[in-house]
Amino acid sequence: MIYLLFSIVIIISIYTARHYWFTLNRLFGFQRHPYIDIDTANWPRVTVLVAAHNEEKVITNILTALMEVNYPAGQMLVVPVNDRSTDRTREIIDRFVQDHPGRIRPFHRESGKGGKAAALKDAMEMVETEVILIFDADYIPGRGLVRQLVAPFFDPEVGGVMGRVVPLNVGTNLLTRLLDLERSGGYQVDQQARMNLRLVPQHGGTVAGVRLSALREIGGWNDNSLTEDTDLTFRLLLAGWQTVYQNRSECYEEVPETWPVRIRQIMRWAKGHNQALAAYGLRLLFGKHHATFRERTDGFLLLGVYAMAPLTVIGWLLALFLFYQGAVPLHGVIALLAFTAYATTGNFAAFFEIAAAVRLDYSRQRICLLPFLTLGFAVSIFSVSRAFVSQLMAPLTGTQFHWDKTERFRTTP
Amino acid sequence: MNHSLAALILVFLAGVLFMLPMLPAVVELCLKRDAQPLDVVQQYGGDIRHFAHGFRNYVAELQLPLQQCVASGTTARGILPKGDEYVLLGGPNMASCLPVGKQDQTCSLVVAAGSDILLPDSLTFTKEVFAAGEFVGGKSSTYRAVLGEKGIHLQQASKVIRWAHSAGEFRAEHDCDLYGRISSDQEIQLQSGCVFQRLNAPRIAFGSASVADKGSSCIVSETLRDTASLPGADARTLVDGDMEIRSGEVIAGSVVVRGRLHIHAGARVLGSVKSNKETIVETGVCVQGSLISAATMHIGQGCRIGGPVVAEHGMVIESGTECGTVGTPTTVSAPTVEVEEGVLVYGTLWARKEGRVVTIR
Repeated sequence: MIYLLFSIVIIISIYTARHYWFTLNRLFGFQRHPYIDIDTANWPRVTVLVAAHNEEKVITNILTALMEVNYPAGQMLVVPVNDRSTDRTREIIDRFVQDHPGRIRPFHRESGKGGKAAALKDAMEMVETEVILIFDADYIPGRGLVRQLVAPFFDPEVGGVMGRVVPLNVGTNLLTRLLDLERSGGYQVDQQARMNLRLVPQHGGTVAGVRLSALREIGGWNDNSLTEDTDLTFRLLLAGWQTVYQNRSECYEEVPETWPVRIRQIMRWAKGHNQALAAYGLRLLFGKHHATFRERTDGFLLLGVYAMAPLTVIGWLLALFLFYQGAVPLHGVIALLAFTAYATTGNFAAFFEIAAAVRLDYSRQRICLLPFLTLGFAVSIFSVSRAFVSQLMAPLTGTQFHWDKTERFRTTP
Repeated sequence: MNHSLAALILVFLAGVLFMLPMLPAVVELCLKRDAQPLDVVQQYGGDIRHFAHGFRNYVAELQLPLQQCVASGTTARGILPKGDEYVLLGGPNMASCLPVGKQDQTCSLVVAAGSDILLPDSLTFTKEVFAAGEFVGGKSSTYRAVLGEKGIHLQQASKVIRWAHSAGEFRAEHDCDLYGRISSDQEIQLQSGCVFQRLNAPRIAFGSASVADKGSSCIVSETLRDTASLPGADARTLVDGDMEIRSGEVIAGSVVVRGRLHIHAGARVLGSVKSNKETIVETGVCVQGSLISAATMHIGQGCRIGGPVVAEHGMVIESGTECGTVGTPTTVSAPTVEVEEGVLVYGTLWARKEGRVVTIR
């Protein structure tokens, strides 16, 4: 038992050190933005897929924004992927098609498997271009964003591109404010540090791009995955394609405004991530492929991120059990102390990351909310652990995983 | 003291200490002092002419009085709506009318010239300069920003601090320091010793025209260039270690090298090239697509690169090399760029830290 606790402490320490490494790199290291200066080029044709399932509240905003980007109009085709919507999404899209002839070609999906990956997979029949960009319907791209996301594809090593997600509905309530902080930490520090250090920036499946030839090489979208973006990141990596992160390619999104929606979202992410861990973890670490040692190590740690929550809970239970069990040898005391130290101060690494991100974003007062992150952490750790347990039990209970669409809160325009 | 009371006080004090860090959090949550979304630029597309367009709009209201000054051959002064004082010059030989301090030779007004203007040496302009005609600066002069509706010609050792845009040709003589954005709707010509950051024009030439036109024997067919400029359209060769492409070798498709890359003289790549370490490109090499290095890049004489040229750490381009074409402009980008006289770039050349024009070795 002591040795199990020791192992958990070591794993947690590795993740803690990783957080510190990323943050210090972001604050003091060399920052990589290699493609952001490409502003003049023979811009290739691009297809912009907009994933939409019952998006009447938000679809107008993104289609309007896409019609105003500075990408050559003749080189860009917008394909709204209307996935079995039962609201006014279809009607709104068709109105845009009429108003912008030749620039939007809708893909209305009436039936088929649920989930974004399945919808994108079916929509690929509309795609004829080498570069594909993907947006969720609640995003609002700026004028220069399409060019910025296409530019990295001039690099023949790049298979996927990811931009930065910035919450729009920040001030709604405590949850949106905490998610704003988490997003800052995740993108401004975590993703950019992985880009700087040539590790594995993660494809987010929105404000993102993928190269058609790379996608075909890895077998297209995996519609069995609950997080098609994580799945894509690792299949690209295993096939020798890089995913790059563009911190300055920012795009507004809407974050969940209620805790049940947030919990469903994070549980889906956890299950999808764990799916990818099971599918690619060992192959990534030990398999014969083009990934470097750094990419293998960081990729594996990235895959294991959502496994850390149940591991921490197990650690807590073990520590309590060992404490009440009575006398433990000296190394047992050390393990207990180490774990307790993590429980009280270990999260400072993640909080430090977020604080650094807030500073890099030149925002000031929102850093005061940092203590509330403990609440977000508590909700996440139990939701993710619950997802992990249900995933373990699934073969016994026969539960089928299904896609939970994230509810929108924007008022109808 | 009563034991229960002591325990109660202890719990209360512990509670207060625990809640103390929550106080600023609760204040921020209630007052929402910093609850706006981060400022994502929605409308700015990164256009190099952004400030020039803004200034042109700003001085639009001066057009009528400026025309009146030109018609009457006089000067005029006034104040713009944002509080900037301006001076209008109605004739070609009115530089002597500029309000310049005798001690520091500094003009601190917005200057608008209605026709061609030739300025004396060693002046400093702390505000923007607008020229409706040809603009010729004096030697060793410093400008905050210049907008020329015809051509701009900066004499030796001049400085531009923020931006300059010319609707016609932009020429800078030897040893000029061009910080910020320099753009032209026709052509930019920089002589040796010039320092620059961001340049954009249909054609950017370094050194005298006679050197720039030398060119090389490597000619890229229009048909090949058009097909290969689509990124990733070709088969990709992925090499985990270092790679050398032999002299005269022709590679169909793109090349990705995880180590160093050395392309020997006269080789051709009918696709794009990426190297994760040092990249050396020898004389007369043709790359149809892009040329990217995650480290430093040295491009030899007389090369032709069709797509974007990017080096993450530094770049040297030797004479006779051309990047992009008239019909397919491109971007050349690195933190530091050293360009020899005789190099031609069609499109953008962006040196984040510093670019420098040097004489042929």
